[in-house]
Amino acid sequence: MIFEDDETVRMYVEESLEHLSNIENDLLAIEEGGADIDEDLVNSVFRAAHSIKGGAGFVGLTNIKNLAHKIENVLGMIRNKEMIPDRETISILLKGFDELKSLINNIEESENIDVAEHIVSLVGLTTASLPVHEKESVSKMIDIHLPDGTLIFQAPQFDIDQAVKSGKSIYLVEYDLINDIQQKNKTPLDVITMLMNSGIIIHSKIDIQSVGTIESGIPSRIPFYILFASIIDPELMPNLFDVDERYVHIIPASPPSKPGYKSNEVKSETAETEAIPDETAPDFLSNPNNSPEEDLPEPSNNTADEMIPDTPAMQTIDDLATDIDNQGMENASDYDPQSSTAQTTLRVHVSLLDSLMTLAGELVLSRNQMLQGMSTQNKRDLEIASQRINMVTSELQEAIMRTRMQPISNVFNKFPRIVRDLAMDMGKEIELSIEGKDVELDKTIIEAISDPLIHLVRNSVSHGIESPGRRSELGKDTVGKIKLSAYHEAGQVNIEIEDDGRGLSGELIANEAVNKGLLTEQQTSLMSDKEKQGIIFLPGFSTAEKVTELSGRGVGMDVVKTNMDKLGGLIDIDSIPGMRTIFHIKLPLTLAIIPSQIISLGNEKYAIPQVNLNELLRIPAAQVKNRIEKVGEAEVVRLRGNLLPLLDLSSVLGVKATFIDPDTGQKRLDRRQTLVDRRSKHSPYFIEDGEEEIEEIQENSVDDSSRDIKDRRFSTKSAINIAVVSAGTFRYGLVVDKFSDSEEIVVKPLGRHFKTCRGYAGATIMGDGKVALILDIAGLAQMADLSSLEGTDRVEEVAQTTKAISDAEKPDKDSASLLLFRNAVNEQFAVPLGLVERIERINTANIEIVGGKKVVQYRGGTLPLFALSEVADVKELPDKKQLEVIVFIVAGREIGLMVTPPVDAVDVSVNIDSSTLKQSGIMGSTIINNHTTLMVDMFQVVKSLNPEWFSDHQEETIAIDSAPTILFAEDSDFFRNQVKGYLEDAGYNVLVAEDGLVAWEILREQVNNINIILTDLEMPTMDGFELTSKIKSDKRFSHLPVIALSSLAETEDLERGKEVGIDDYQLKLDRDKLIESVSMHLKM
Amino acid sequence: MKEAAKGKQQNMMIELATFFVGKSLYGINILSIQEINKHVDVTRIPQAPEYVVGVLNLRGRIVTVIDLGRKLGLTPIEADKNSRNIIVDSRDEHIGFLVDRISDVLPAEVDQIEAAPANIGGVQGKFFKGVLKTRNSLIGVLDIEEVLKDE
Repeated sequence: MIFEDDETVRMYVEESLEHLSNIENDLLAIEEGGADIDEDLVNSVFRAAHSIKGGAGFVGLTNIKNLAHKIENVLGMIRNKEMIPDRETISILLKGFDELKSLINNIEESENIDVAEHIVSLVGLTTASLPVHEKESVSKMIDIHLPDGTLIFQAPQFDIDQAVKSGKSIYLVEYDLINDIQQKNKTPLDVITMLMNSGIIIHSKIDIQSVGTIESGIPSRIPFYILFASIIDPELMPNLFDVDERYVHIIPASPPSKPGYKSNEVKSETAETEAIPDETAPDFLSNPNNSPEEDLPEPSNNTADEMIPDTPAMQTIDDLATDIDNQGMENASDYDPQSSTAQTTLRVHVSLLDSLMTLAGELVLSRNQMLQGMSTQNKRDLEIASQRINMVTSELQEAIMRTRMQPISNVFNKFPRIVRDLAMDMGKEIELSIEGKDVELDKTIIEAISDPLIHLVRNSVSHGIESPGRRSELGKDTVGKIKLSAYHEAGQVNIEIEDDGRGLSGELIANEAVNKGLLTEQQTSLMSDKEKQGIIFLPGFSTAEKVTELSGRGVGMDVVKTNMDKLGGLIDIDSIPGMRTIFHIKLPLTLAIIPSQIISLGNEKYAIPQVNLNELLRIPAAQVKNRIEKVGEAEVVRLRGNLLPLLDLSSVLGVKATFIDPDTGQKRLDRRQTLVDRRSKHSPYFIEDGEEEIEEIQENSVDDSSRDIKDRRFSTKSAINIAVVSAGTFRYGLVVDKFSDSEEIVVKPLGRHFKTCRGYAGATIMGDGKVALILDIAGLAQMADLSSLEGTDRVEEVAQTTKAISDAEKPDKDSASLLLFRNAVNEQFAVPLGLVERIERINTANIEIVGGKKVVQYRGGTLPLFALSEVADVKELPDKKQLEVIVFIVAGREIGLMVTPPVDAVDVSVNIDSSTLKQSGIMGSTIINNHTTLMVDMFQVVKSLNPEWFSDHQEETIAIDSAPTILFAEDSDFFRNQVKGYLEDAGYNVLVAEDGLVAWEILREQVNNINIILTDLEMPTMDGFELTSKIKSDKRFSHLPVIALSSLAETEDLERGKEVGIDDYQLKLDRDKLIESVSMHLKM
Repeated sequence: MKEAAKGKQQNMMIELATFFVGKSLYGINILSIQEINKHVDVTRIPQAPEYVVGVLNLRGRIVTVIDLGRKLGLTPIEADKNSRNIIVDSRDEHIGFLVDRISDVLPAEVDQIEAAPANIGGVQGKFFKGVLKTRNSLIGVLDIEEVLKDE
């Protein structure tokens, strides 16, 4: 169909889409209201349908007009309380509006699309609720005559009946376009608007033909007939209409009309100006080109009943219901909210446009000022002008960005419908609440998050929320709750999707991942529950037992994660099995301008998006040998105890590597095969003292540090610069030549000839006008065949544990946070991180020796110091100007241990050999990072140094008579012996068990002897949680306090512990606190 | 430029911007050219196809520069004082052809342009819209879209 007036049609489409945009939610609200109808709401939907119908008639879109009309009929009945908007009705209406939307989106084809199906459903609805004798009226047209018998037009009987039923009188008003309208300085639109305020226009017509056929005299009248329904009394009507009384005719309530419909009687000259409600009157009506006199394409000569050729409107409602049901199922799965074409126009607030205009004006003024300054060579003017341009540009940038901002409700508003349809299909009851609809995001981001969010919400509906039956079994409210919320925080947008469903079971997920071969059992056994939940983001994983068409759709959570990564966003899961799941998403406000770190390689500059950048790392030449190693084919760097895979940007991109010769300052080709390849006079292992420390430059301080890098660069011999980056599951170190500034860059796309280059996310233009490429961190990793799991901390740990397992006889799953340090340069020690208060650096010159003890003045107090060599048989500390001091609090007092750097915190699985290297002050040894590491027993150390510190505790324990008995469950030999040891030292009797089950047996046998239970959490056979819940649910034992011991205090463990009834929570090696807690619980 | 077209466009003139790639002369309809410049500040793109010289910044737009010599399977073009970028617009994207030297703008009647043979001076015929014979040379009229087609 070719439209005569594109502009009109375009405006119609825009208006209609706007009307449709919020319909879904209104309809859902109507459904919720049920019989208790909110008239305002129904009216607003009614008006929308009405305006669409009116406009469609105007531009000659019969199909749309018919469909809208039928929808309007149903809504009219709802409004008159003749129909209760139940689920089914609303479903049909929603489908109808969906179809309407798709017709309007595809307006050129709309006339060729078959809408009969929808019309049948809608007509079915209206007829079903009507008394039998009225059913016919739905599709019947009646003739409207003038009193002299002239046929004016046909109007749907249904509309008239509806109006009469609601107590309105029907009038046929005969306006004269010449006398009543033109000469009174009105427009037809004025009349229509005026009438709309006091009633409903059912039909209207301008009878141009009658003008032509008047045989006698000059045509003095152009009649404009309006069929009008109003509650206003007939006597008042002439006043209202402002026409002579003889031109107002009252149509009797049951018009003497011939039933039936003659399709060809509507003449092509008829311009149908369907009634248009006041508030929503489309703008295009005021367009002078579209005055009703104009000829319009295609008269509307097929009306509803032709559209339903074979299906009688009388189809029984049962049949209809099944039909609708089937359609419903199909359509729900077909329903794709993304199908609507991407938005090409945007509505911007006028005030924003005004401010843009002002800024543009400012910019022009500044340019003039600058040009003037240039011509007069006035430096001062130029400076002022450039400052002004700088300011205006920033403001302009911000203002333009604001025009791109859209409220997130654009996406959120889809969800009530999606959730409703899906919940209906799955037989679930779900209540959706939405918060933060006003939060604004860049248009492109809004478009891009739509799919992932839909996926997450679908997931919540289909996998999260249980069926009502299951929920009542579980004692939950049968109505599941899903909450969507958005809010701003720290310059980012946060979106949360929360459901109170079954939550994510880490165990099930882990098992599934193992079954699918995504992970090995060893890997999963090491994961925390949170990490196990994170498995759902791995490619190839889906939590559904079977992938359903509805929630599966062939898209996995991995795609959700990938999409988030692409947007520079983060996604995080917080789930309590059986309780709830929260997906937490963080997104940047915009994508067009991104902060990034500029690096260079040779002469070219590259940008790394700041979101991908974790930290900058510089390895001084002297440490390269130590820190960078080759494992198999891959180069890795040691970073705080973990091995991080390295990618050399130059080799990934195939650029010749260069380095700056430290002697001449010239750039030269790097001939090394690998980074490790280096002719060095240094010993391969520990470097001598006084060497510069590893400089780790945190990204936050890039501005300051960038100069440092340059300064130091020439003073060291070709240090290696590494940008530690991560994207999705990848995390690696990118070796570059040089770090430059961090800058905000404007992202520009690369041309189509670069689509084979995976390493770039786009390009940008630098201050000097040169183009720099933006690196795609995930793409580079793929180019280098870096497998995604490799390089994560977790895998590193797994690798180490696997090694430890093969080394040791018995696997030990206890993982602990340790602080590594050195005494003499090649002696590595460790203490549990939980004991460490803080780390200080002191000058050895400040150490005083008072009363035979070393102390240092510190924060107004005195800190006692000691070296390990004072208590254990280890080497002396090297003589250095500065020392690191690890500060502990033991027995309520601070004490400092002097050590040699590097001091590093690691999370490792501890497999401690408590015999071979055990000595006073040393509880055993373990292997960390391939070094034999001695574990320091701080309590023993402090006890031997300052025995008097512990006297208080001794007294306390003695005070409790008849030595209480502690049942202690712990699977690790080492920890069992350690803890047992110091508990016995403190004067308790200790019964030990290897796991929860053994402890349970012991408890049942000797319940009367046991005063308190200590348990590890992670144990084979029966873990601490299970043991505790058994104890607490058994009347015989529930009075016993249970203290849980763990090496890692994870908040989720804490929460879970509280749930099962754990009374207190202590770190395994924090002896003081543990003993304090035990004695406190015994006293209670 | 088939028979039907010929009849209608009897005297239709087009102007060809001609340039050298190696020793041979080629032409592009001048209307499809955005501008001709002498940009030397090209950022090269590692991993890009061999015929891509790099990208340059043309007043805020990123323009892909293609070595027309390599693209047509001839010898690569050496950037020197005579070489120029011919910027054309192809599918909403600016693309620059790096050529050895710019020559004259020649008016030509459309029906003077003959169908291209299978091979013109070692270049595949598919790259050409046709060939224009002048008194002392043969000008291959390039089909830009065909040259820029993704491989």
